[in-house]
Order: sequence, then structure tokens, then C-alpha cells
Amino acid sequence: MRITVEEKNATRRRIVEAALELFRTRGFEATTTRDIAQSAGIATGTLFNYFDTKEAIIGQLAQEAIGLARNAVTSRAADATLEEELFALVAAQLRLLKPLRKFIAPLFETALSPLAAARSSGMGESWRVEHLETVAAIARLHGLADISPVSIQVYWSLYTGVLAFWSADKSPRQEDTLALLDQSLNMFSAWLCDSAGESNQERRSS
Amino acid sequence: MTLNVSDLVAALPQDVDEGTTLVVAGLPEVLLRSTVQPVPIGRFRRLSALGTLQAKITAAYMFHWLRGWFHSADANKRLLAEAHWRNALRMLDSMGYLRGAVMKIGQTLANFPDIAPREFVETLEKLHFDAPAMHWSLLREMVFSELGDDPERLFAAFDKQAFAAASLGQVHRAQLKTGEEVAVKIQYPGIGRAVEADFRNLFLFMLPARLTRDWESTKDQLQDLQRRMALEADYELEAANLRKARALFHDDDGIVVPRVFPQFSTSRVLTMERLDGLHLREFMAGNPSQSERNDVAMKIVRAWYRLMYAGRMVYIDFHPGNFLVLPDGRVGVLDFGFMLPIEGEEWELYRKMDRPLTTGSQAERIAILKEWSDIRDDEIDHLRVADEFAAWQWMSRHRGTEYDFGDEAEFRVGIDLFTEMVRKRYNRARPSTPSIARSHFGWRSIMYLLKARINVWALAEQEVKATGWDRSDYA
Repeated sequence: MRITVEEKNATRRRIVEAALELFRTRGFEATTTRDIAQSAGIATGTLFNYFDTKEAIIGQLAQEAIGLARNAVTSRAADATLEEELFALVAAQLRLLKPLRKFIAPLFETALSPLAAARSSGMGESWRVEHLETVAAIARLHGLADISPVSIQVYWSLYTGVLAFWSADKSPRQEDTLALLDQSLNMFSAWLCDSAGESNQERRSS
Repeated sequence: MTLNVSDLVAALPQDVDEGTTLVVAGLPEVLLRSTVQPVPIGRFRRLSALGTLQAKITAAYMFHWLRGWFHSADANKRLLAEAHWRNALRMLDSMGYLRGAVMKIGQTLANFPDIAPREFVETLEKLHFDAPAMHWSLLREMVFSELGDDPERLFAAFDKQAFAAASLGQVHRAQLKTGEEVAVKIQYPGIGRAVEADFRNLFLFMLPARLTRDWESTKDQLQDLQRRMALEADYELEAANLRKARALFHDDDGIVVPRVFPQFSTSRVLTMERLDGLHLREFMAGNPSQSERNDVAMKIVRAWYRLMYAGRMVYIDFHPGNFLVLPDGRVGVLDFGFMLPIEGEEWELYRKMDRPLTTGSQAERIAILKEWSDIRDDEIDHLRVADEFAAWQWMSRHRGTEYDFGDEAEFRVGIDLFTEMVRKRYNRARPSTPSIARSHFGWRSIMYLLKARINVWALAEQEVKATGWDRSDYA
């Protein structure tokens, strides 16, 4: 019997929901793929048709959140500064990632850390590329056409640093993450604008 | 322009003769210039606003303050203390939340200047107003995380631009879906806890100073500031103060305290009724008549007495921006972030103080001063200065007639006496003393600004008697 796309999506959704519930109640580490399959009412083997690992489930959810966040900020006010728009983008991601906050740290470690970038893992790489493209697009809107690879690396380090901080943030409603994000982006955008100004000057003088 | 230590240290005068006012000589001009700048938003400007003006003013005041304390110490001790303070400044520089803390220190130290009355008033005011700002995206996120939804959805309208800066956050105009015009005060994320941590570090850093004889006084001042910051960081407490204060006033008082909307308020967000009127400076710019000025002054003094006698709390922040003259002549009192409750023993002392305040009796004044400040019989000079200062402070009341608060020479006398007290370290007493001093100076500054000529004795009589205290306990 052929399985329709709708059915496939429904099963995928069931797996994801069962996994989230188990992560919440038992913790990420203590939850096995077998537990997830059982809770979703499918065979463990079937689960592997959808996700290789439990990390991949988190990855899938995170990926969705990243995409949604990008769409959420495309209709921003025109008078926002670069810093403000970047803040809105990351803040939108954090809102959407919030249900995953407590068990997302392993994903950050394996997929998002600046060290992982070199390994070019599938999930981390697409997150990285997609997010940085959005950042570059926002920068272009603010007249910064070509961001140097160094700037990109600086941004990525700050960004992943903020995410890592957030995943372990114990302050009320993670308000310290907002402060850290604000100050990181403040620093980054000032640095970016300054270095753009310098290279413009160089171009003019040469 | 970025914040750096060398700016701070450079702001410290290196070689000063006692009694000169070099530090503040150029201040009014600097302040004047700063008034034309918009509230700085974005990038390093937010940090640089601190790095230059406030930090320098604060550094200058700190230095001045310090010199006063070490007036009688020998040169070595003074140098040592100065080194400690330089280090303390470096420490301040490294603090993540310098913005709030420095401004607060600036405000507190602004209680101890050696400058002309006009500059004194303006300095207090400027130190209060020039706070850095949060951008809209951050603000929106704070509202979402505190109130559970975006400002666009919670409110019928929400102004993205702040209309006032508060030291720990900023204030925005908004309209509730039920139609009320409100002011929403929003705190910078985590600043309360961060400032607390900064203070802990500062105290640790200052431990080497603990053996000096002025350590207790320094500690008192800093603890007062720390306490004040903790109170101001808690908007729920401010909401409670507002509710308590609001209940003390009636329609015929002509005094309004804004209503709080608790469903849109948390410890980090405070939504209040918005009063539209003129700040005292704007009011004065319209050249109001003496009687119009007196009317506003009477309402402010009445509010102060009402809060004190009926509410048993002292309003500390006498800042011209905290009083609004409404179109119908009523006066709005804003900002209840720092109220000092008067309880227990202090309330009993307040009651005792009422008598010399009312009668002008010097013997009774001296008795209560000795009790309040714990002055011994052999501390003759301390007692003299404290008495002269209290006589100046209280004269406007016990004289029982119209008093000219706009007399510059008269105001100057008070500032000089207070400066003398600080220099001679006579300002120690109880932990609340610096705040109460700020309150007393504050209301006199406001009266001076308004050039008021009013009878405060009559007002005090009404307010005391309205509490049911008929003074029959005066034997």
C-alpha cells in the first residue's frame, strides 16, 4: 500500500510531537529513539525512515523555526537600523526555538559551533548558510554590499555564542540573553559600519 | 568616541587647592550643549554618551566629594585615598552596566556640589535626563517576554520612539484598547541584577579602603545608592507606591498621581495613566505670574507633606521633570521609583522634629538634631553646623509667613552649610540621611526654580492636623 504525502507528513508530525513531549518529561539524554517510536505508535524501524537520530528531530524543528523567523522579519519597518533588524531576526528565532531551548545544546555543539563549521555537517551547514544569507541580505538593504569573510566569521561567532548562552541562561525569562544579544549586535554593527567606512575611504583614495 | 578609562581619569583634577571650584567651572556650558542632542540610539553612541559627559561629571564630582572628606587628613592619606578612588573609577569603567550605575552615582554626588544654585539645579536635572535608549526591536522583545504578546497586539497604539528616558529604562506613549492614554516604562533587560553584581564587585574592590576612618561614610553613601538602585529596579514596588500615593489625594487637592494598569505591568514593565501637561521648565518658559507659580509650588509642597504625614513616606526625586502642570491647573506628580518609607524609630523622630519645626525653638531643634545624628555634647562644631543647616532648612516653615524661596543668596546659604557638613564629614548619621538630604534639597531647588513666595507653615499645619494628629502630645 502506498503512503500518501499527507500521511507521511502526519507521521512526521506525530514523531516530532512525541519526541518533544518525552524530551520535556524525561530529558533529552534519557530519551531513546525506541521510546519515541513507541510513544508515536510506530515501529522503531519506521522512525528511521524519517529521522536518523533524535538530534535530527531537534534539527528538523530548529530548521523550521529558522525559516519561519526569516519570513517573520521580512516585513520590517523601513526606518529600522541594521542593528535593529538583526536583533529582530535573532529574537524571532529565539521565540520560535523556545520550546527546544532546554535540549538544543547538543545540536549547537555538533552542528553550529565555529569548530563544526569546518566539518560541514548537513544540518549545521544549511542553518549556517541560510542564516548568513539572510544577514547578508539585511546588510545589503543597509548599503553594505559585500561583507568580508572575516566579518561573516565574527558574526557567526557572536551569533552562536548568544545561542549557546541562551540555551543555558538561568535569568528570569532569559532576559540576560536579550542584553547579550543587544550588546553583541551593537558591537558588530558598529564594527561592520566602521570597517565598511574605512574600505570606502581606501577605495576613494586609491 | 568610546568609553575609556583615560577619559575618566583625565577628568580628575590633578592638582587642586582646597576650596576652588575648577571642576565644575565649565559645566553649565557642557550641559547646555548636551541638551540639544537627541536621545542617543544605536551603536556606540549609546555607550559613548556615558563615556564622555556623565562619566566625566561623575568623576569630577567623585573627586570633589572625596577631597571634602579628606579635608583634614594629611597629604599621604589623601593621596592614598585618591589612588583608591582612581581604582574604583577604573572598576566602574569595567562594569557592564555602567550606564545606570554611573548616572545614579552622578545624581547622588550631585547632592554635594560647590557650585552656584542655578548650576546645582540644572546639574541634578541633566544627570537625570540623559539616559541611553533601547531600540524598538529590543523593546518589543521585552514587552513580549514580560507581558506575553507583542506591543502592537496588546495596545491600540504604541509609540516606537521613547518620549522620556528613565535611568534604568525608558518611557513610551501608548494607548490601551479600552481607550486610556498611557505611559509605558520599560526596563533594560537584566539591568537590576547586573547593577547589583556591579555593586558587589565595587565593594570588594574597595576593601583596601576599609581601614581608613572615612570608610564607614563611604560605605554608607554607596549602600544608600545600592539600596536606591535596588528599589528603582523593581517596578512592582513602584506600582505599589503609586497606588498608595494615589489613594492619599482627592479631587479638591488639585494633585494627581497616575493610575497603574496592573494587567500591563510587571517588575520590568510599568504601565501608568499618561498625564499631559507642562514640565516645570516648560511651565516657567511661559512666564507664569507670581500667583500661578505660587499655586503650583503650594501643590507640590502639599503633595510632599501629604506623602510624609499621611503616607509616611518621603518623596526623594524632586526633579522638575517629575512634576507636570496640567491644562486645568492640577499638578501631576510622577516617578515613585524611589520612595523612602518612614517607619518605627524614624517616624517617632519625625514626630519629635515637628515641634521645633513648628515653633522654631533652638533648644528643641538642637535636642532632636543630637538624637537624629547621634551628636555628642563635646562635638561643638558639628552641632553648630548641623544646627545652622537645620535652622536654614526649617526657617521657611516656623516663620509662619510668606517665604521668598527665589532668593538666591538665601539658597546659597543652605548649599554652603551643606557643603561644609560634607567636607567635615558631618553628614554621617543614619542610612536614610543622604536620601532625606536629597529630598530636602530637592524641594528647595524646585521652590527656587519656581521663585515661589508661599506660606509653607499653613500648609504643614493643615496636613499634620488632617492626619488626626492634634499635637496634644506636645506637653
